Amino acid sequence: MTEFIKSKEKKEMQEKLNQQFGIKEIPFLLVKSGKEKLRAFSGSLSKDEISELANLARVENIGLYFAAIHEDGIRLSLDACHLLQNQISKNIIQLDDKQSLNWFKGNDLEFESKIKGFAILKHEDDIIGVGKASGNSIKNFLPKERRIKN
Amino acid sequence: MYEPKPLFAERIAKLLPDREDREKFWEIVRKEPISSIRCNTLKISPEKLKEKLGKKGWKIEQPYENKEIMIIKSELLPGELGKAKEHLLGYYYVQEISSMLSILALNPKPGELILDLCASPGSKTTQASAVMENKGTIIANDRDMGRIAILSANLERCGCANVIVSRMDGVQLCERLKGKIEFDKILVDAPCSGEGNIRSNPKTLLMWNPKMIKVLSGIQKKLALSAFQLLKKGGEMIYSTCTHAPEENESVISFLLANFPAEIEKINLPIKTREGIIEWEDKKYNNKVKFTARIYPQDNNTEGFFLGKIRKK
Repeated sequence: MTEFIKSKEKKEMQEKLNQQFGIKEIPFLLVKSGKEKLRAFSGSLSKDEISELANLARVENIGLYFAAIHEDGIRLSLDACHLLQNQISKNIIQLDDKQSLNWFKGNDLEFESKIKGFAILKHEDDIIGVGKASGNSIKNFLPKERRIKN
Repeated sequence: MYEPKPLFAERIAKLLPDREDREKFWEIVRKEPISSIRCNTLKISPEKLKEKLGKKGWKIEQPYENKEIMIIKSELLPGELGKAKEHLLGYYYVQEISSMLSILALNPKPGELILDLCASPGSKTTQASAVMENKGTIIANDRDMGRIAILSANLERCGCANVIVSRMDGVQLCERLKGKIEFDKILVDAPCSGEGNIRSNPKTLLMWNPKMIKVLSGIQKKLALSAFQLLKKGGEMIYSTCTHAPEENESVISFLLANFPAEIEKINLPIKTREGIIEWEDKKYNNKVKFTARIYPQDNNTEGFFLGKIRKK
């Protein structure tokens, strides 16, 4: 059964995303996907229409993978960051060429930073992922299929 | 390059009776296809992407009015297009130019309800989503899990948020939706014998056989008629394949025109096209199938393709 995020939950999420990254608005319908993951749908079908469709067809995915909810924060997906990039203004870590390459190889980074928790990683003007900073390192969450393969 | 089977060569000779034209066909299908990409405007503008790729030393040409269509003129290393940071970030989709034509012809608009019946790997779904600016809804269907995984990965990478993915046999899906959902526009990019893809997949010449064309023609007719019934009145459907075989192309369109309240629409595309044929072997098709579009590789230095645009009366 398709489970949509209720408006109260969405509002709480917006507040958290505002605190974390400065995101004030989530212009999507949010759908639960498993225990801790959310997908975002920007399309025109209503909740009822989607539910009706899900009864008729074997629906595999609705919209795109948006975020994973952790106890210590929200980990946005790379593609959600791209769609919301105009709103992102906080907890941004700028990487140099070497660090960026290391990131795309899927490695955790040694990186001194005051930021603790989930951070948006940028190389030049591109958002290249979301990592978890812990003061002297950044944990890499880049999906395997988005990494540079050797 | 594999040698074509005699019957295939014979059929191409019937389709291209002019010797010089035919020689050009066989000459170009022996060459590797050009490298082309489509800028994903959901994530970046063509100007900015061109600038970024230019900084890498890639020479980019944009020969068409649709600036998202880009040709890479530089010699790249094998796999370089797929490994580039800009590709991993979803700024572009590696897509052959002829494959971009279905969505140019369908012309989906933001807010419309679209069905992409045979959607994997997602080149056309991602293109439609970009044209629609992530507004409106696309139902993208394919039938097996492996193909769905590829489709889903491409939709994620390209930031397509207005797509619902379903996994069903195309005909079965249409039966389930019939009378319950009506679409503004439908794309049936049907599974085909792939005669148009010899340049990128020369093994097609080895696998080609006339029995397969007959079987595929039956499947394509079922898919096309099932999908057509889901169109709202005035709705439009693009039927496309990457093959030259008339049994898989004009025959399918002629079948729709004969059995349904369908009218054919002329298609304007940014590349050279040729009219559909109205006679093939012992078959005579509806005269109006001449308004379909055949794309031969020698005309535009692309792969081969076919499109027909049908409107529900």
